[in-house]
Amino acid sequence: MARNKYDIDEALESEFNLSHLKRLLVYIGRYKKQIGIALSVILASSLFTTTGPTLIKMCIDLLTENAGKGLTPRVVLSIAGILLVFLVISVIGAYFVKKKSRLMAQVGQNIIYDIRRDLFVHLQELPFSYYDARPHGKILVRVVNYVNSLSDFLSNGVINMVTDLFTMLVILVFMLCLDARLTLVCMIPLPVFFLVLFLIRKKQRKAWQIQSAKQSNMNAYIHENIVGMKVTQSFTRETRNLSIFKKICGETMDSWMYAMKFDKVVWPTIDMLSTIGQVILLLFAVPRLGTTISVGTLVAFLTYIGMFWNPIINLSNFYNMIINVMAYLERIFETMDTKPNVTDKPGATEMPPIVGKVEFSHVSFSYEDGVKILKDVNMVVQPGETIALVGPTGAGKTTIINLISRFYDVDGGKILIDGTDISGVTLASLRKQMGVMLQDTFIFSGTIMDNIRYGKLDATDEEVVRAAKVVSAHDFILSLEHGYQTQVNERGSRLSVGQRQLISFARALLADPKILILDEATSSIDTKTELTLQRGLDELLKGRTSFIIAHRLSTIKNADRIMVISQGTIIEEGTHEELMALHGHYYDLYAAQYSFLESVS
Amino acid sequence: MLRFIWELLRKDKWFYLFVIFVGVATLPLLLFRNTVSGQIVDAVVYNQDYGALYRLLGLLLLATLLRVLLKWWDNMQLEYISQRAAKRLREKMYFKLCKMDFNYFDKTRTGDIMTRMTADADAVRHFIAYVGYALIEQISTFALGLGILFFISWKTTLAILVVAPFVFYFMQRMSKEVHPTFQRVRARHSALNTTAQENISGNRVVKAFAKEDYEIEKFDRVNDGYREANLESNRISSKYLPRFEIAAAMLTVVAILFGGYHVLTGEISVGDLVIINSLLWTVMGPIRMFAWLVNDMQRASASAIKVQEILYMQPRIKTKKRVLSKDKFTGDVEFRDVSFRYEDEVALENISFHVKAGQTVAIIGATGAGKSSLVSLICRFYDVTKGAVLLDGIDVRNVNVRKLRQNISVAMQDIFLFSDTIEGNIAYAKPDVPFSEVERVAKIADAHDFILRFPEGYDTIVGERGVGLSGGQKQRIALARALLKDPAILILDDTTSSVDMETEHHIHQTLREYFKGKTTFLIAHRISTVKDADKILVLDQGRLIEEGTHEELLAKQGYYYDVYQNQLGDFDVHAGKGGAQDGQK
Repeated sequence: MARNKYDIDEALESEFNLSHLKRLLVYIGRYKKQIGIALSVILASSLFTTTGPTLIKMCIDLLTENAGKGLTPRVVLSIAGILLVFLVISVIGAYFVKKKSRLMAQVGQNIIYDIRRDLFVHLQELPFSYYDARPHGKILVRVVNYVNSLSDFLSNGVINMVTDLFTMLVILVFMLCLDARLTLVCMIPLPVFFLVLFLIRKKQRKAWQIQSAKQSNMNAYIHENIVGMKVTQSFTRETRNLSIFKKICGETMDSWMYAMKFDKVVWPTIDMLSTIGQVILLLFAVPRLGTTISVGTLVAFLTYIGMFWNPIINLSNFYNMIINVMAYLERIFETMDTKPNVTDKPGATEMPPIVGKVEFSHVSFSYEDGVKILKDVNMVVQPGETIALVGPTGAGKTTIINLISRFYDVDGGKILIDGTDISGVTLASLRKQMGVMLQDTFIFSGTIMDNIRYGKLDATDEEVVRAAKVVSAHDFILSLEHGYQTQVNERGSRLSVGQRQLISFARALLADPKILILDEATSSIDTKTELTLQRGLDELLKGRTSFIIAHRLSTIKNADRIMVISQGTIIEEGTHEELMALHGHYYDLYAAQYSFLESVS
Repeated sequence: MLRFIWELLRKDKWFYLFVIFVGVATLPLLLFRNTVSGQIVDAVVYNQDYGALYRLLGLLLLATLLRVLLKWWDNMQLEYISQRAAKRLREKMYFKLCKMDFNYFDKTRTGDIMTRMTADADAVRHFIAYVGYALIEQISTFALGLGILFFISWKTTLAILVVAPFVFYFMQRMSKEVHPTFQRVRARHSALNTTAQENISGNRVVKAFAKEDYEIEKFDRVNDGYREANLESNRISSKYLPRFEIAAAMLTVVAILFGGYHVLTGEISVGDLVIINSLLWTVMGPIRMFAWLVNDMQRASASAIKVQEILYMQPRIKTKKRVLSKDKFTGDVEFRDVSFRYEDEVALENISFHVKAGQTVAIIGATGAGKSSLVSLICRFYDVTKGAVLLDGIDVRNVNVRKLRQNISVAMQDIFLFSDTIEGNIAYAKPDVPFSEVERVAKIADAHDFILRFPEGYDTIVGERGVGLSGGQKQRIALARALLKDPAILILDDTTSSVDMETEHHIHQTLREYFKGKTTFLIAHRISTVKDADKILVLDQGRLIEEGTHEELLAKQGYYYDVYQNQLGDFDVHAGKGGAQDGQK
């Protein structure tokens, strides 16, 4: 059962920590080479850009010497020459800028691609319960929006940080070489800056964490409201929802502004401190001018101090970026760290081609500790047998079939297929041989043809049509505007639930599973269609071991064996006739149903 | 796009311009800081004027403090204004979505709407917060620089303006070329959203068919498509980067050549040339920035278009200007020669029937026969193609849609529960209803008992679409949700198909009591559910083929009779009869 809804901020399992940073570095490290090239391009281009002003200065010097002296070929030629060099250098520099931009975009996009892929691949391994436990919009926001938020950080932030750090160090070395004492004086405001960062750090982190949670909430609400808009309209709750949405948007905005309060404090602090640094330097140096400090040194220091603070300003932007990105990264890594509840055991083997014998031996299971859903279930099903599972809601029918496909692992006992314990085989090899048809069908956006083909991706059009015919879906598909090429989407657009069930029936037939599981798969199909479907169903069941959960008696009666489940155990078992003769639970059920039909007035 | 954003700012419009103006106004203060060191060195070193030192330093501190405070205020205001605009935009989009008809939601992918409401709205926000500001800042810097240049040497200024046409040409070309790439980026973003979203929502099917590898392959494609679109967009914009850089360099070359000529001829002083040179850097900065600005503007514009599409779309179901604002209906429903088609596909043809207030009508028929379409027309989720649906004798198209729907309660066959508590889901129509009321309808829907079996009872949060609940449980919660509304008309579209027969029978018994006096439409497949209805409609391929009570229809020996025989046939006569007698004891 779910744990989270749109207006509950998700709890964070583990904060951003060093191991997260290491993992991020692994992603970045894959593109060492490109980053290296980008860095050297930046280095080279900075050489070029710094020579530009020098060349212009040369021109001006030349002009100063010859001011008012008229055009002499020597001067004109030299100036033209210098300008030509300037132009060439500018062109080369310009192409370096382009190269750098492309390299950085590539690195950034590639890393994002990798992270997103890993996240998605991991999501495929996570169990139903993960998806059931939170609004889907909150999972989606991680895969799409959070990962996108890393883009700027990765493509610009990281590389700029390296160059800024480098620039800062170079200038520091220059300053130290020139005058160590003055350098120290210049550094006086720096500790204040770190103190400020330290003071706001915790709150700033928290602020961005809150922001990411609010963004996630908003995403969840938008997602759910788009999907559920039909319900909203039919219950005329638009006004109410709009006011909830306004509140959520307001919270998102407030959380952003709260985070901004800290972010925006960083830059003015530095700006102010760099000025204070300048003032201190002057106050310190001016009285000592001519004695221990030369004018040249002072002028040089005044230039350097400006150059020194520039990268710090950039680095503080980077710092803000990191704090922001951490709030996303910790969510991304949290998802990647969520353990799937069922995994391949070490040394798991491939499930050999299934013949179809299914055995439960003393199986017990609970979803939550202490609440036993299944208690000591024992059964042996022969290959090709059709088993109907009957019993009240919550008795454990669905649990039994979930265990056969190993969506969960048993707590006690064993499930054997053809004598092989299924806990020892790989999930993919097991599930590929099973077909599970759920009552809640899902239609992917695409054509009907594609949707049926989902069962067997390499099926030809003819095979798809054949499957549709067998399950009596062919006629209604043809009656649609574009037949098999009709575009449908996620919610199945205007297909009725019964039609969707027929499509997923065809899907299952095409998959040709060795063991078939039907969980209330025909509940919305009308009697007439079901009758024609029966033929298809017979074909579907032929030669396969199948488990059917249904309320429709016709379906149950046709089963080879019926198992009545109650409170986690099998209480009756046998053919329809045997169970009727038993006059037990099944008999009561049957009798009751009959009476409803017959008790006309 | 600018016009759209201007409108979006609403009453913040002029404040926004003021904030930008203040930001630009701090530029001279920055200039002061950069020149003050030189002044100090001049004053102290060359003139030995120590008083000037303290005065200038004091001024420097003050100027910086003022600038920093102004900038801080400015930045916060820009964030605030842009956030408010984004909030307003999202709300407007949401409001519009609420107005859209079922047809729109049938056809539009969730991921696509998601993209517009999240990423696209955010791109617009980003434009307001940063791009709009930078645009004005850079243009005014550029203009200011040129203006001063003009004062110093109008000839040189005119000469360097030779570069301007090239810059404008590049800007245009780049806008034109980069715009489609951003359209592609956001289209791919939408595809990424859709693929991921469907994978998440359809995770059960993916697992059931063990199609994880296929899903990953599919995802790789869109993930890669998104990356490529981004790189392509970068390829175009980076192609233009050097051109702007070179234009900026050309500016210097022209200025030095031209200014130099005048220096040599003695027309301007060297000092002027030095000032011209330093101003050149002021003018070149914006030119370099133009590439980025064009880029960001086009990005925002691609998104703004998509956002506007939502804001300007029109629902097909329109409320007429003059409608009857009737609050309460008795529930008399008449279909008068109604035909309905989805696009070109016939769903219903020439349907006519009349239901008096308080009657129960059952509808049966094959999958896709038009049962759900028929009831959708009563709620006006779609409009009829021909004929009319009348409620209390009034064409539903002449009734305020909201008022109409408030009088009807539907439990749709396609059950959607919200990820909320069970209580919140049941009380969806009337969130402020007392808990006892929620409990009461849950009991009628036979949901109370199983809800209490959950450790958290009514406070249990169910997953989106009610995942984690069985089909029957979901249906019963949806039923309770519909019952809470207390409408004139109740529509139950296959609401109990996943509930076992015994429970279903029990539910319908209770409902009959409860809904005495309310018009009820009942879509079902089981004869046991429909047989007691006042009227049974049999639909086949969009046509009404039989109509009457259970007995009348049995006597007809048509479709209904066949279905009845089939369902009866489920009970082999011998054991069945015995069972029946036992059951009736």
